[in-house]
Amino acid sequence: MEESILRYEKIDFLGEGQFATVYKARDVKTDKIVAVKKIKIGSRLEAQDGINRTALREIKLLQELQHINLIGLLDVFGQKSNVSLVFDFMDTDLEIIVKDNTIVLTPANVKAYMIMTLRGLEYLHQNWILHRDLKPNNLLINREGILKIGDFGLAKAFGSPTRINTHQVVTRWYRSPELLFGARQYGTGVDMWAIGCILAELLLRVPFLPGESDLDQLSRIFQVFGTPSEETWPGMKNLTDYVQFKHFPPQQLRHIFSAASDDLIQLLESLLALYPPSRCDCTQALQMAYFSNKPAPSIGSKLPMPSNISKIEAEKPSLKRKLLENIDGGSLAKRLQF
Amino acid sequence: MKDVIDVMALQSSRRERRLPDYRSAPSHSLATNFIFECGIKLGLQPATVATAAIFYHKFFKEADKNDYDCYVICTACLCAAGKSRDEPVRLRDAVNVAHNSINRGAGPLELGDEYWSWRGAVAQAELLVLRLLGFNLDTPSPHRYLLHYLRTLQEWFPPSQWRSAPIARTAMAFLQDFHHSPSILEYRAPHVAVACLTLALHVLGVSVPLASTLDDDAAWYSVFTKDLQKEKNWEIMEKIMQVYSREPEPI
Repeated sequence: MEESILRYEKIDFLGEGQFATVYKARDVKTDKIVAVKKIKIGSRLEAQDGINRTALREIKLLQELQHINLIGLLDVFGQKSNVSLVFDFMDTDLEIIVKDNTIVLTPANVKAYMIMTLRGLEYLHQNWILHRDLKPNNLLINREGILKIGDFGLAKAFGSPTRINTHQVVTRWYRSPELLFGARQYGTGVDMWAIGCILAELLLRVPFLPGESDLDQLSRIFQVFGTPSEETWPGMKNLTDYVQFKHFPPQQLRHIFSAASDDLIQLLESLLALYPPSRCDCTQALQMAYFSNKPAPSIGSKLPMPSNISKIEAEKPSLKRKLLENIDGGSLAKRLQF
Repeated sequence: MKDVIDVMALQSSRRERRLPDYRSAPSHSLATNFIFECGIKLGLQPATVATAAIFYHKFFKEADKNDYDCYVICTACLCAAGKSRDEPVRLRDAVNVAHNSINRGAGPLELGDEYWSWRGAVAQAELLVLRLLGFNLDTPSPHRYLLHYLRTLQEWFPPSQWRSAPIARTAMAFLQDFHHSPSILEYRAPHVAVACLTLALHVLGVSVPLASTLDDDAAWYSVFTKDLQKEKNWEIMEKIMQVYSREPEPI
């Protein structure tokens, strides 16, 4: 245990959250760059109910899970009254990429992000675990262009019919209508809805349904997909927090996402089906035409990165490209002089 | 009405007499009893209480029993098990239940020095337990295996025969009681589950339909777990039975 403390050499401070501080560090043993998440307890240990539950949940779940598209928990160690989790180091996340106006997201890029997300989530669901907090900020990307789902602080096993869950999960903009109506028993649909919202955000480059309150969120959902009725959503009125909404007619998604191909619209529609049981699961989604149609998804090294992060392998070719661009640009300038 | 109260008073006084006195008992001799008693009082699921017992056995496999207060570690094990199985226990409840079990008849602790030192000790001990376990919280649960085996066997038995003996109850009770023994750490979860089931069938004098038609070296449970030898199964069953020869009996 004492070895672990010496094993990780702090390089940089990455960020601070409510429960943890994250550092970039070098693993002296393997010379790998890692992220060390130090859970804040220390002096507040007695004030709280002992060790932070979300941290423990993250440790327990991630120890059981291994998938290329899920963040890897490499080590856990304790020091004094702190607990630190060692993760794969990830350079950026989808939120940063979506917000970066200098980045162009081609249809092939969007497809690549979706495939990686769905594969990771498919594995998670196959192991009977719901993530319950999917949002662009939790889809982490490294400089090799590999996307990994992160932050398992809200993840939970599902499928037990006797277990009641809380509906206060998922960041509001990505929260499904059944959660907003207060459903306590739900399944993979809550994650699928969030994926649908993320896909929409990749296309629009702004959050698709940025509700300002839970009611506003539902209202925005129904303004796009139409207000559901007891016929289109049987049992909806029995949900705890059900409220009657003004009747909105459904809109055509192709009008909102005018640049999207038909196969992509089809995927969006099945991810964002209002009635939870008609929402597709990951396996069904991955088998849809969109993923086998052209264009092929971008390979990792071709995926964009924010400008402050240099791609290691791409450095040399990009230099070459710059030179080529200069030549082209030069000739273009000459032509303009004419 | 008076009769009813009398019966209840009698029952509770009998129960009181059966409850051990943790203060006078030699250190650690009643540790698992304490875990089970507090776990039940806290309303935890049996599998969670069992996990707490596993944590306790694992902890003292590494640590010296004289170095730590037995009941503080036991309470911390319950808290850690609760969190790891998504059945969180409030620290205050855990402290009060532990305190009341040690000091029979005492009310909830006032928010004074004694309470805060208890609470601090349990919180620190919880972290210590987790560190000593190497944060390895994923204990393979024999409960799940046993449930699966029971459901499978139920389909195989004629319904009348299955109903005539409390097989599931007995096997589950053996499994739960086996958590009093540190020997549970020595065996794989599916093997423990089969041993509990075999022992229950033996005790109740029930045999698995058509099991007698099997070859000598084949066992009916080979469909559940291939690598459990008959001798090994007997060995585990003996370890389970040893639990009942200790004093006092498990709760």
